Amino acid sequence: MKLLKPSWVSHNGKPIFSVDIHPDGTKFATGGQGEDSGKVVIWNMAPVLREEDEKNVNIPKMLCQMDNHLACVNCVRWSNTGLYLASGGDDKLVMVWKRAAFIGPSTVFGSSSKLANVEQWRCVTILRNHTGDVMDVAWSPHDVWLASCSVDNTIVIWNARKFPEIVASLKGHTGLVKGLTWDPVGKYIASQADDHSLKVWRTMDWQQETNITKPFNECGGTTHVLRLSWSPDGQYLVSAHAMNNSGPTAQIIERDGWKTNMDFVGHRKAVTVVKFNPKIFKKKQRNGSSPKPSCPYCCCAVGSKDRSLSVWLTSLKRPLVVIHDLFDKSIMDISWTLNGLGILVCSMDGTVAYLNFSQDELGDPLNEDEKNAIHQNIYGKSLAITTEAQLSTTIIENPEMLKYQQERQRAEQANHRMTHEAQAHKLTSVVNGESLEDIRKNLLKKQVETRTADGRRRITPLCIAQLDTGDFSPALFNSVPILPGSASQLTSQLSSDSNTATSNLDPLSTPLGSKASSLNTTAMKSNLLLTTSTKMEPMKALDSRFTERSKVMPGVTISMAGLTPKALDVEKRKKGRPRKMDAKMMMPVSHQTFQQVRPVPVSTEPPVYLEVENDVSAVSGAKLSQLRCSREGREWDTLLPSRVITAAGSSDVVAVACEDRMLSVFSACGRRLLPAILLPAPMSALHCAGFYVMALTACATLSVWDVQKQSAVVKNESLQTILSGTECTVSQSLLTQQGVPVIGLSNGKSYCFNSSLETWNLIADKQDSLVQCADFKNCISSQDAPVSQGPLALTQGHNLNAGRLASRLSSTPHHLQHGMTLVFLENQLASALTLRSSTEYHYWLLIYARFLVTEGSDYRLRELCKDLLGPVHKSAGSAWEPTTLGLRKRDLLRELLPVIGQNLRFQRLFTEYQDQLELLGNK
Amino acid sequence: MAKVQVLNVAVLDNPSPFGNPFQFEITFECMEDLPEDLEWKIIYVGSAESEEYDQTLDSVLVGPVPAGRHMFVFQADAPNTGLIPESDAVGVTVALITCTYNGQEFIRIGYYVNNEYTDPELRENPPIKPDYTQLQRNILASNPRVTRFHINWDGCSDKMEDSENVDPSPNSSSSSSMVPSSCLAGKALPVGLLSGNSMDCL
Repeated sequence: MKLLKPSWVSHNGKPIFSVDIHPDGTKFATGGQGEDSGKVVIWNMAPVLREEDEKNVNIPKMLCQMDNHLACVNCVRWSNTGLYLASGGDDKLVMVWKRAAFIGPSTVFGSSSKLANVEQWRCVTILRNHTGDVMDVAWSPHDVWLASCSVDNTIVIWNARKFPEIVASLKGHTGLVKGLTWDPVGKYIASQADDHSLKVWRTMDWQQETNITKPFNECGGTTHVLRLSWSPDGQYLVSAHAMNNSGPTAQIIERDGWKTNMDFVGHRKAVTVVKFNPKIFKKKQRNGSSPKPSCPYCCCAVGSKDRSLSVWLTSLKRPLVVIHDLFDKSIMDISWTLNGLGILVCSMDGTVAYLNFSQDELGDPLNEDEKNAIHQNIYGKSLAITTEAQLSTTIIENPEMLKYQQERQRAEQANHRMTHEAQAHKLTSVVNGESLEDIRKNLLKKQVETRTADGRRRITPLCIAQLDTGDFSPALFNSVPILPGSASQLTSQLSSDSNTATSNLDPLSTPLGSKASSLNTTAMKSNLLLTTSTKMEPMKALDSRFTERSKVMPGVTISMAGLTPKALDVEKRKKGRPRKMDAKMMMPVSHQTFQQVRPVPVSTEPPVYLEVENDVSAVSGAKLSQLRCSREGREWDTLLPSRVITAAGSSDVVAVACEDRMLSVFSACGRRLLPAILLPAPMSALHCAGFYVMALTACATLSVWDVQKQSAVVKNESLQTILSGTECTVSQSLLTQQGVPVIGLSNGKSYCFNSSLETWNLIADKQDSLVQCADFKNCISSQDAPVSQGPLALTQGHNLNAGRLASRLSSTPHHLQHGMTLVFLENQLASALTLRSSTEYHYWLLIYARFLVTEGSDYRLRELCKDLLGPVHKSAGSAWEPTTLGLRKRDLLRELLPVIGQNLRFQRLFTEYQDQLELLGNK
Repeated sequence: MAKVQVLNVAVLDNPSPFGNPFQFEITFECMEDLPEDLEWKIIYVGSAESEEYDQTLDSVLVGPVPAGRHMFVFQADAPNTGLIPESDAVGVTVALITCTYNGQEFIRIGYYVNNEYTDPELRENPPIKPDYTQLQRNILASNPRVTRFHINWDGCSDKMEDSENVDPSPNSSSSSSMVPSSCLAGKALPVGLLSGNSMDCL
């Protein structure tokens, strides 16, 4: 063992409360008291490790210091990825830091130290919630959550993927909470407080799992911190300050039953900090000694108020080493290097010590595979699967694969370089290639100065750099609200209760697929607006619609509660519909205005408006209604003999349903395409998409016609199948661009009618636990635009949170989680197929493939590839279709192969299909 | 934590004749878009004895301020000599740059300013009535004294939370020999509007 006290690691003599080594081992952070504020310093590890680096003046020792905390910093912790640093202090704040790459060296303005910061760490989030000093912070395994505890007796769990969202606030301690530790498999978090208790909380429901008080009953006095630690195998939890027979101990708590039978004894004063070595060790095999199979063991460092440090191996009864008088004051924090051989200790006296062990002393650290094997043995398939580490030893078997892997690395590097260059570029040439120096020279002349209304000078500052805080953008699915402008299909609601959330899906259409995007995709939405003005501004109409509609359509529902469906249905209809009519009649002049708002902001298509005016003129006692349509400045209008109930349109057709159960269909230019269709019952919802017209009648039957081919796609199909046996109503209906009708029910289920099978297929179920537990976040590539516009996304809506509950990984066993995700993804794929939504199919196919690749599902992946490749040799009997939804299957396979190549385990599969594809390409 | 961090203040045109305008090039960084403008002020302390001789040379609004790093030059006319006590014209005084957001001051940057005659003759025998045309102003740009205050960034509430006091250079009192420590100590404090905050200038 070697021991070093690097004197240059100091906060100018002020106490250092916390130390943490970066996961990559190249730097470490200290936190403590600054001059008049809290201070976080990031130090270079190299000068600690190597004497020649310490002496080399060109190697910086301090990398960055941050004085942003207003008061003493009690804890600094790196995220597991090393991208972020979290710090908590007496100013009640938790700050999350991220390295800013684009800014050159700078000093803290006004600071005495003229040393430039070598690295720039910027505070990206401030987490405000605690009402007292923050004592400890801890990142959960996989950086899903960040926990912080405070003297306000609470623990706050922050969503580390979506700061500053609070996942939970754990209340229950009756004293200052001074230490936190996560279970390495993520199932629990443990906290220790001044209230003589140690509590273990479940991450599944954030409730208390157990409360351990006995070993702490005797504890008197206070220690500044109580940093407890969980062993890397997850089996033991070791507390800080505990007492046994009036001697201070570190209590060992067994995971199994939370038994407290053992402790680390020997320190003369309270234990302030316990820190397990991240590695699990096994006995070093010496040559010649009997190859006795030895149990793996853990290593733990204990620091105390008595200023001494002890290091224990769980295989030994006595400590491996005890170091006295290392410091002048209490030990405050301990951090191990990731390789498990080095340890940094900091003290209230403002100094830091580094200890270096050899493998002879500690033993052979298990590699990640072996550690995972242990985890899997104990907890089932571990969450800590690190595929890369596992595969690092795999040999690349063929040149194609090698080429591919190398290209990938190169691309990554190039990417990396590019971002760096871009960032550097940003710094040097800020405006039109001018350097910062040029700008500075002329700044006074160039800066824009105006006078405010009250005559004061106002300077517009020159922006010289953007902030790069991009990484905290919320998770994909959360960040994509379904805006009124992005709904792909027109929908109408039959149910009155749906005008909050689902009404967002309403009226607009968006290009779906490449074909549709070039067309003027227009869709119209029937709006029942009671207004005296004949024309309305589109936006105004939109606004008022939400309020108006709720008044107008109370309880327009289709319900089939038990009895003979048709009769009851019509009755219910009548109940609802007349009320609407009544409302209309009360108005002196009633108009119906339909508007079409431009589907996508970028599209150049002009909006199309449909406007209907009922009872426009009376010709010999008969009242006529007028339908007016304006598109790209061209208008047409037509007259109808009866009052219009609802109208809808697409880029190709306009359909109007009247009170007399007649449905009229016009071309985009107003030509009548069909004689009026007599419907069996009044129209309830009408949709158009492309040349398809969908009609949902009040007697709960559904029809879809293809106007172009003059054929019925769906013929008077009853909704009884999907409505029977439930108390639910139709809350949403839509027609996809491919003519597939979709019905959403109030119970959260959505069905589409598959016209070839003539069946109703379930495509979305909001209560489906599979949806909520499926975890495929890792499989979403940042390059994929999230599909929020397809019919599938529309019906599933916000519910699809990419595993909202899934991040509570540990709550379900991994294999179950895996299974659920698989089932969910396969459901998505099948649904996208049935809906004939090619973009969504493509999107989910990629995610599915990535998931199979990361999870190593060999058979499924092979089957998928086989299906995509099809028969290599043409045979007459083959029913294989070369395309699906207009996508060429082999092109899809070509797209999937790089994904497959990412996992070396599949290199044979990769090669096999790569070769075959090439062969086919050459033919 | 403050949404606005002052990264650097460069003193331009320094030293310069007394009558030249003050010029500070201020670089600051903003964590998030600010809905309101920042208000910057230059205050010239006319006399160490009393704050009644303080002159606000100018105040400007700076905005809009989106998140990012920004810079601007704050230029303000030289102090009105008529308002400076004759006895205090020559010697060391203080210029302050303050910045407020929503009426709350969150940073105060103090510079020592030394006014002296360039002509050795005049330096030896200064005229009783100061000759401002001959005076040179030298701002001790290398030693800004920065005081930061904790303010409420989200509302315009006048509630002040605890103040943060960053006096960065404990060694500077020895380094700046030109500081007449007796007269300036505590002087800077009453200049400000915020009596609740302290700025131990020295």
